[in-house]
Amino acid sequence: MSAAAKGPPRQIDVWTFVTLGGFAIVGIFLVWPLADVFRYSFTDKESGLLSFSNWLEFLSKKYYLRAFLHSMFVAVSTTALSLLFGIPLAFLTTRYRIRGSALLNTVAVLALLSPPFIGAYSWVTMLGRSGFLRLALDSIGIHLPPIYGALGIVLADSLQYYPFVSLMTAGALMTIDRSLEEASENLGASSTRTFFRVTLPLVLPSVTGGALIAFMMSLSNFGTPMIIGGNYLVLPTLAYNLFTSEVAERPGMASTVSLVLMLCAAAIISLQQWASARRKYASMLVNRPIIKRLRGLPSALAHAVCYCIVGLSALPLAVVVFYSFKNTKGPVFIKGFGLESYRQILFDVPKTVMNSFTYSLIAVALIAVVGTLLGFILARRRTLAARILDPLLMIPYIVPGTVLGIGYIVAFNQKPFFLVGTSIIIIMTYFIRRLPYSVRSASSILRQIDPALEEAGINLGSPPGRTFRTITLPLMKAGIISGAIMSWVTSMNELSASILLYVGRTMTMPIKVYLSVLDGFFGTASAMSTILLVVTGIALYLVNRWTGKGAAQAVVGV
Amino acid sequence: MTSIRIVDLEKRFGEVIALSDVNLSIEKGEFFTLLGPSGCGKTTLLRTIAGFHRQDKGEVWLGEERVDELPAHRRDTGMVFQNYAVFPHLTVFQNVAYGLQVRKLPKPEIERRVSAALKTVHLEGYEKRTPDQLSGGQQQRVGLARAMAIEPRVLLFDEPLSNLDAKLRVEMRDEIRAVQKQLGITAVYVTHDQEEALVISDRIAVVSGGRVQQVGAPWDIYKDPENLFVASFVGKVNLIAAELGEAAGPGFRMARAGSLQLRVPAPEGFDGSTVTLAFRPEDAVEDPQAEAGNLVSGKVLRTSFLGTVAGIVAECGGSTLIVDRHHPRAGDIPAPGSTIRLSLPTEGLMLFDPVDGARLRPAMPGRTAGGAG
Repeated sequence: MSAAAKGPPRQIDVWTFVTLGGFAIVGIFLVWPLADVFRYSFTDKESGLLSFSNWLEFLSKKYYLRAFLHSMFVAVSTTALSLLFGIPLAFLTTRYRIRGSALLNTVAVLALLSPPFIGAYSWVTMLGRSGFLRLALDSIGIHLPPIYGALGIVLADSLQYYPFVSLMTAGALMTIDRSLEEASENLGASSTRTFFRVTLPLVLPSVTGGALIAFMMSLSNFGTPMIIGGNYLVLPTLAYNLFTSEVAERPGMASTVSLVLMLCAAAIISLQQWASARRKYASMLVNRPIIKRLRGLPSALAHAVCYCIVGLSALPLAVVVFYSFKNTKGPVFIKGFGLESYRQILFDVPKTVMNSFTYSLIAVALIAVVGTLLGFILARRRTLAARILDPLLMIPYIVPGTVLGIGYIVAFNQKPFFLVGTSIIIIMTYFIRRLPYSVRSASSILRQIDPALEEAGINLGSPPGRTFRTITLPLMKAGIISGAIMSWVTSMNELSASILLYVGRTMTMPIKVYLSVLDGFFGTASAMSTILLVVTGIALYLVNRWTGKGAAQAVVGV
Repeated sequence: MTSIRIVDLEKRFGEVIALSDVNLSIEKGEFFTLLGPSGCGKTTLLRTIAGFHRQDKGEVWLGEERVDELPAHRRDTGMVFQNYAVFPHLTVFQNVAYGLQVRKLPKPEIERRVSAALKTVHLEGYEKRTPDQLSGGQQQRVGLARAMAIEPRVLLFDEPLSNLDAKLRVEMRDEIRAVQKQLGITAVYVTHDQEEALVISDRIAVVSGGRVQQVGAPWDIYKDPENLFVASFVGKVNLIAAELGEAAGPGFRMARAGSLQLRVPAPEGFDGSTVTLAFRPEDAVEDPQAEAGNLVSGKVLRTSFLGTVAGIVAECGGSTLIVDRHHPRAGDIPAPGSTIRLSLPTEGLMLFDPVDGARLRPAMPGRTAGGAG
């Protein structure tokens, strides 16, 4: 098909309609809502005229600038800590024999994929105003301030996002050709010198890539600062607060803050693209590095470092699971264990659980089908249309959920698309937020499939459609399915956009967790979170079975 | 059995002209090779026949049918790919049956044809294997079986052996040739390996710069190249820039290069004075006793031993020449620095126009024949 597409007279075929459909989807569900956000930020709130008043207000009031600085502080600190946790973990687990390193890996990925608000809320139960850990330390004379604020956000964020650094660095460390390090030592360099002069420079692009993703995730995270941030406002929570409280007809300030957030994200993404474009070092040679075996004290130290880092990131998850089995009476925990919290969920809010599963599964079906078709166009048909569609499909990478939510409300609250309050709008946010990942993974799978296979099918007499069905699709299957499972997990755990878009009957589990935490019903919140964690774990297991590679690649394959 | 006719074919990729003025007529049952360096357009030509490229101009005929507007899947050509293109998710049987299922043949017929094809390529008993259990050579056999099972009008080979190791390459090329002759299917074979082309083909088209340089039997391509490109691409050749001088008997002239004085066949219809003189290393005779003919003496610079042949590089009158000594025996290879005497028989000398590379032929070809057989 690729070859057929090179012929000068372009015929109208099934792929023409797919391209048109792609433009329709991107136009309606991405460009239009964001254009509204853009328009409102340059519209005067009172007069409705074109104006820079919102931007002048943003730049002149400390309230706004402070949120910007807070966001930067949180993101930079999170990135620094992610590097601090991620690099040693990656190096130790790839170069030395660490017992249970597969388990460590799985737990790290689980922590990474768990809904961000769970970690935050769990740290609150440990180190919050009446957190059990804080009270326990208090009784032995160690007085800690409550965790709320910048410290809490950075703690929760870095313990969630460091796996981006560790997984990408580990991936690079494992693909370095052993001969390079051997050459260095053969030329007389000590192993320390080899590490700093050869190994580290070789993996640096991956380290940078991972760090930038951690920065990006922390910057656009909404759930964590909302729960643990207290009065410490960052850009996403500021945008949310402004939007929900702006009484004026035009959400001018919320839109402006959203744009600032998107600009930051765009800057980070372009840095990340630049960093990953330089990732040309990974060698295809199978001269894999040797995994050394340590003994005695060095071995104990290496194990201690790895288990401490991963253990710390798993701690909030364990606490949540533990609390979900504690008996409750209303909002208070009482002695004894049982399934009371789960019973409450099933009897009080079965609709919420159903909603989460229904919406995410519908979204995933859409993502898989549309993503695969569009991925095919990007990989196999380099038409002008495809080249325009390509960057458009990148947009969701830089749109934080909060911004997309705001855009959807202002865009779909009017004719011709009256979608606010429907389940469709929530499904579409899931769909759009995850679509670029799916498109990208489909097209990268396709780029690894030799076009000669499709040509062979055609040469043997099979028409293009049949060739796609019988040759291309079966070869893409494993990749599509593991990508779909990853999309399912992220959709199940989506909070930042849906919190703005839900109404009573379209409530989902993450929203319910958030509201329960706000109301102090920690039992229900824990049980609901545990269900989400189990779902995430099952998904990880399924990805593992389908690809045999573990979810690490699916996670970092941005 | 189908003949292939290519008429005035032209193909561009943007500004780059990949093929121009291509006219070929390939006989029924012929093994026809497109030979040329990478990027010369030979693969583009093959893929245009298969329908993977659409020509900008010209016609492609398979037998009596003009196919250049047909989509690739309706051309009924069996292609064997450079990287095998064996479907990795299908078994050997399913791979070979793929094209037959597309043609909706009855099941027993499919089974019969698959086992016949697998038998031909010596892969009986491999039906249930998957491609990852096969070696490169076996995968290419599956590719061949798959292409011939559909009994196509023509077989197309796109450098099918270039990914195999040297020994297997020799084995497979004999096998491909045998299978093609056995089935009698017209074959077009693309390669950049001149030895492979010489061995396997009935006729060869040498392609360069998107144009066909020469079409002919392997013997003619090697022994009677039509231009400098063909002479130097197929086989080794010594090239000497020479100045044509006075007549040396009827039909001959003297040619001067440095201190070399050679008697060469006088080219017909050529009024220039500079020519490129060419002869193949095996055409120079090392002969210390010779007294007549084009005698050249020189100093040995270095030698190389290749088993059945020894190569001698010598400096002769200002030109550096390579000559071959076949089946060298002990003491046959001169030491560097020693002097050798060579005789360059007139019939081994070819003249080319140094400007456009065209072969300059002697006025009376009969006079120089005799040594060619």
